[in-house]
Amino acid sequence: MTTKQRICITVNGVRHEREVEPRLTLVDFLRHELYLGGTHVGCEHGICGVCTVLIDGRSARSCLALAVQADGCDVTTVEGLRDGATAQLHPIQQAFVEAHGLQCGFCTPGFMMTTLELLTENADPSDDEIKEALGGNLCRCTGYESIIASVRLAARRLREQQGA
Amino acid sequence: MKPASFDYHAPPTLAEAVELMARLHEEGVDAKILAGGQSLMPMLAMRVARPEVLVDLGKIKSLDYIREESGAIAIGAMTSKRAAEASALIERQQPLFHAATKLVGHRQIRNRGSVGGSFAHADPASEYPAVALVLDIVFKAVGPEGERTIPAGDFFVTYMTTSLESTEVLTEVRLPVLPAGTGWAIQEFARRNGDLALAGVATTLKLAAGVCADVRLAAFGVNATAVRLTGAEEFLRGKRPDRAVLAQAAAMAANDLDEPMSCVHASADYRRHLIRVLAERCLLEAAARAI
Amino acid sequence: MAIKIPTLPEQLPTTQPRFVGKEIKRVEDPGLVAGTAAFIDNLSLPGMLHCAILRSPHPHARVVKVDVRAAEALPGVFAVLTGEDVRRWANPAYTAPEGWGGYCIAVDKVRFVGEPVAAVAAVSRYVAEDALELIEVEYDVLKPVPTPAVAMAADAPILFEERGGNVIQSRVYNWGDVDRVFAEADHVVGNTFRWNRVGANPTETFGCICQWDTVDNALTCYGSYGTPRFWAMGRAMALNLPTNKVKVIPQPQGGAFGGKGGPRGTDIAALLSRKAGGRPVKYIEDRMEYLLAGFGQSWDRHYDAALAVKADGTVTGFRVRLIDDQGAGAEGWGTISVAKPLAAFTGSYRIEAARYDTVLVATNRAPTGPYRGYGPPPHFLVLESLMDMAARKLDMDPAELRRRNYIRPDQFPYTIPSGNEYDSGNYEAVLDKVLAMSDYRGLRESQARGRADGRLIGIGVVSTVEPGVFDWNAYATVGVQGIGVPEGAKVAFDMLGNLTVVVGFNLQGQGQFTVAAQVAADYWGLDVCAVKVASASTDIAPPSFGQGGSRLGVAITGAVLGACEKLKAVFCQVVAHLMQTTPEQVELMDGRLRLKANPQVGMSVAEVAGTMLGRSDLLPPGMEPSPEATFVWTAEGRTMPDDQGRCRSYLTGANATHVVMVEIDRDTGRTDILKYFIVDDCGTRLNLANVEGQLQGALAQGVGAALYEEYVYNDEGQPLVTTFVDYLIPTIHEVPMATKDFIITPSPVAPLGAKGCGEGAIHTTPAAVLCAINDALAPLGVEITETPASPHRLWKVLRQVAER
Repeated sequence: MTTKQRICITVNGVRHEREVEPRLTLVDFLRHELYLGGTHVGCEHGICGVCTVLIDGRSARSCLALAVQADGCDVTTVEGLRDGATAQLHPIQQAFVEAHGLQCGFCTPGFMMTTLELLTENADPSDDEIKEALGGNLCRCTGYESIIASVRLAARRLREQQGA
Repeated sequence: MKPASFDYHAPPTLAEAVELMARLHEEGVDAKILAGGQSLMPMLAMRVARPEVLVDLGKIKSLDYIREESGAIAIGAMTSKRAAEASALIERQQPLFHAATKLVGHRQIRNRGSVGGSFAHADPASEYPAVALVLDIVFKAVGPEGERTIPAGDFFVTYMTTSLESTEVLTEVRLPVLPAGTGWAIQEFARRNGDLALAGVATTLKLAAGVCADVRLAAFGVNATAVRLTGAEEFLRGKRPDRAVLAQAAAMAANDLDEPMSCVHASADYRRHLIRVLAERCLLEAAARAI
Repeated sequence: MAIKIPTLPEQLPTTQPRFVGKEIKRVEDPGLVAGTAAFIDNLSLPGMLHCAILRSPHPHARVVKVDVRAAEALPGVFAVLTGEDVRRWANPAYTAPEGWGGYCIAVDKVRFVGEPVAAVAAVSRYVAEDALELIEVEYDVLKPVPTPAVAMAADAPILFEERGGNVIQSRVYNWGDVDRVFAEADHVVGNTFRWNRVGANPTETFGCICQWDTVDNALTCYGSYGTPRFWAMGRAMALNLPTNKVKVIPQPQGGAFGGKGGPRGTDIAALLSRKAGGRPVKYIEDRMEYLLAGFGQSWDRHYDAALAVKADGTVTGFRVRLIDDQGAGAEGWGTISVAKPLAAFTGSYRIEAARYDTVLVATNRAPTGPYRGYGPPPHFLVLESLMDMAARKLDMDPAELRRRNYIRPDQFPYTIPSGNEYDSGNYEAVLDKVLAMSDYRGLRESQARGRADGRLIGIGVVSTVEPGVFDWNAYATVGVQGIGVPEGAKVAFDMLGNLTVVVGFNLQGQGQFTVAAQVAADYWGLDVCAVKVASASTDIAPPSFGQGGSRLGVAITGAVLGACEKLKAVFCQVVAHLMQTTPEQVELMDGRLRLKANPQVGMSVAEVAGTMLGRSDLLPPGMEPSPEATFVWTAEGRTMPDDQGRCRSYLTGANATHVVMVEIDRDTGRTDILKYFIVDDCGTRLNLANVEGQLQGALAQGVGAALYEEYVYNDEGQPLVTTFVDYLIPTIHEVPMATKDFIITPSPVAPLGAKGCGEGAIHTTPAAVLCAINDALAPLGVEITETPASPHRLWKVLRQVAER
């Protein structure tokens, strides 16, 4: 048997201390230890992007990280998007609803987390920049057109918000 | 798809990592180094890799840097590909390496994946080893015996195998600055954007008085390691890089290849053909850039 | 009481529909973007164990011995299930035709790589997978049957020994005088085609939690089930339970596209729960399991087909020989995919006579299952490719050849030779619109310029019909029983006038909750967000099938409207009684029950509901105090198939024409889609964004089938594509963003005039892309008739030119 490790991970601003097996993946930790089920699992081998979260502000496939590797890190998941006080949807979430950027919604958290990173570094991305950023996220429902529209809308909303 | 059990250590310093690897080796423990994990994690999940111990270099902050040092760019092995992609220094001074970095996977992979990890993993379909051969990248590794440098030509042994000892830690990747006026290009063929290449070519091309003075050409995705295509390089020396000559060199490069590998997406024949096409396109692109 | 369901949105009791036919935000989306939707793996029950399944590495072998002692001894393991348990407790899968199914865990032999041979329930998935490594299986490896050709050879090894051979069904259908039209044809245009296996691959794999009630001997299954009642019935049959003792609770699903299997997974989890003393057992199929054996493989086809064509371009006959590799038996209902083309055999055209010669063969590949379209997409690839080949032969423009042969608007309802009746359409108007939108003439000119420069540019113009609203009778030819597919809904007001619509299915992505809410909201004058749509488990839901066969949008509209009509009649009685008049004098309009003669006088719907539940003294004598109604809808007029399989099956026929322009890289064989245009007609569009999303999404899957996706097997029957590294789902870079438009020819027979449209573009896109590729290749005198038209395949074709 292996030794469990004590880790401390901040998720959506909340510190969590747990003892975990080293082999526990970050996505399983988030989903089954912290009950943050919004980060989904699509392939567990790093291709589909469904499990995308931000680790220290950078988009990452949470199936390709161990929970122990994220010890001391700041993780943001889809649950961290909504306003903590009002529970209002984040402008990115709102944009995905309004521009029909989802059908089954399973891949959507991954797309939104990648979008969050993109729009943090580029407030007004072109369609090509959006495609480049989202190339590692698979969607089997939408054919992506409405996702691009959602990201464009989210970018506009965020710019307006920051301008206001 | 859950990994088998292993123990895990994340030493905070390089010295401790090296010491730990030596001790584990002595005890006969199957230990593996974990860098960014973007290639290792799927292998763990499928249980095709099942080390007893993982030694994570992620906490060693001293391995995360990009700096200019006496005409070279030194990149700490644990520097993320994302950082390399974002580095103005690399983009300016070593555009071939920069272009290769942008071809690696998708942004989530580049965010987590380390520069050193890709070299140590030595996937033949990866862009980096071919670029290493073209640029004469030099690797630094630290083991129980101390530090040594390994030139790219001695680094890649065979499929997913390097000349690093199992107790050695890759610490630095040194890129020479691309001399001004040198043409360069990297092109690859993948089924989808971001997929591992079925075939790819990287090149640098230096002109002197309008003829090729020094051409470096390497292929990836076709053999057990990236390979220099020296026949074509030699052929081009002293020749004016016009379309016909470059096409001839590309054909020579493809013909010289050892029997390429075969997979569900591409036969050996097709891979050989792709190398010809890509080498020609690459050489043309590089020649257009060369001054 | 006959319920009359509105056949146009204008017939709704509202001055102007606010939601039906509009682009509105979906009611299901807030929970999905918030990350709170209860997908199955988000559910956890007290005491729950986790299942992992040991799978066969061999395509064909006898299972000699399974030793599970070490696995059982591993700490954290609570139960290990083997073929011996299953032989005792379960039955082989029911199939159509009968007798081609295996047990949920291999009993005696394995027939495909990935077939379960044992399973473990443990405290975590990690421990369960550890335990799998301790199970020892002794196999006696048998000669594999990797292809239909091997399967049909005289000395072939036999998969199901008791069947005596590997041919599941061999049947020839003749519709009209096929031999005569071919004999009288000026041209016979024929070819062979190979459609390689593709599959659904929803981003969420199958998952379930099963709990065996050891007191009541009953089973509860939570899971990603798209057709809950169908599943419940299947589990009862497989597990020897009365059907009313199996309760299925459908959770929201991360897509399905037909290919979300899981009967074996469910039965295994159920029996593990039984063996573990009734503790709930969760099974989440992982992606490699899905790719190997998850009913995600469909359509493995070898075609030989021909058209009979007159000199003027009139197509008079279509004959198809299909050898269909079903894989290891019929447990995945892949047989239906061979039957379904009968519903639209001759596509958009007036073709006098047709023959369909089918052989369904069992091999040691994974069993095939449903996938969006369920059969016609490859069939249309064949038909449309032959249309293009005919056009080339006649030197006609492919668009004009199609126009010449379209069923004309005045011919509807139109019965096709294979028996189905198309409800309505105006194919020529669709064609004209897409040709104008794409500037087809301009495209041809630009193609000519490109060709002059040596570029390989091609254009595809392809028209198809999407059979919508399936009925079981469409599958009678492979042994499926029954006519009518009931879909029910309950519409219920509470004391304060809030409305709940209860349905028998859950979310899957197509937006049917929104459709139900839109229809109910416009009917009762409510805001769409004020309508609660609730999913009921199978033990309490009205009869329901759920998603499948481009049906649910239409069916749930019919069900909700039927229930609304029933309830309106009751409300009219109540109001009439209160106002001392007759129900005929009362009408519903914009949320009020009012007097026809004096519309100012009336009551709100909430007032009526509140009165019914709170003031029974005011109700007509004998009336139930129940402001709710249930209606179960099924398509009318469906008929019994004749000896050639002919019947009225699918209710609606949507149609579309795609125009696509591609360029092939002469050097690498890579195809780029340069432009894509779609005009479609699915009658009334209940929800504009839903329809557009289905189109664009199905287009992406069609592009996948045409250019990227393929399950490859080697000569020994070993699958070579077992990860997402090799199964190439198109990314955002590979999918063209199509320019789209539509026309509306309402269905005269479907609720609100809406036609089934959920499968959509996958019927058309593979054919359109392949036709464009062959148009590009035409000047070189070569062609490709195999999918996907991968760079490697196209390079081989182009090499034929180089080698000439």
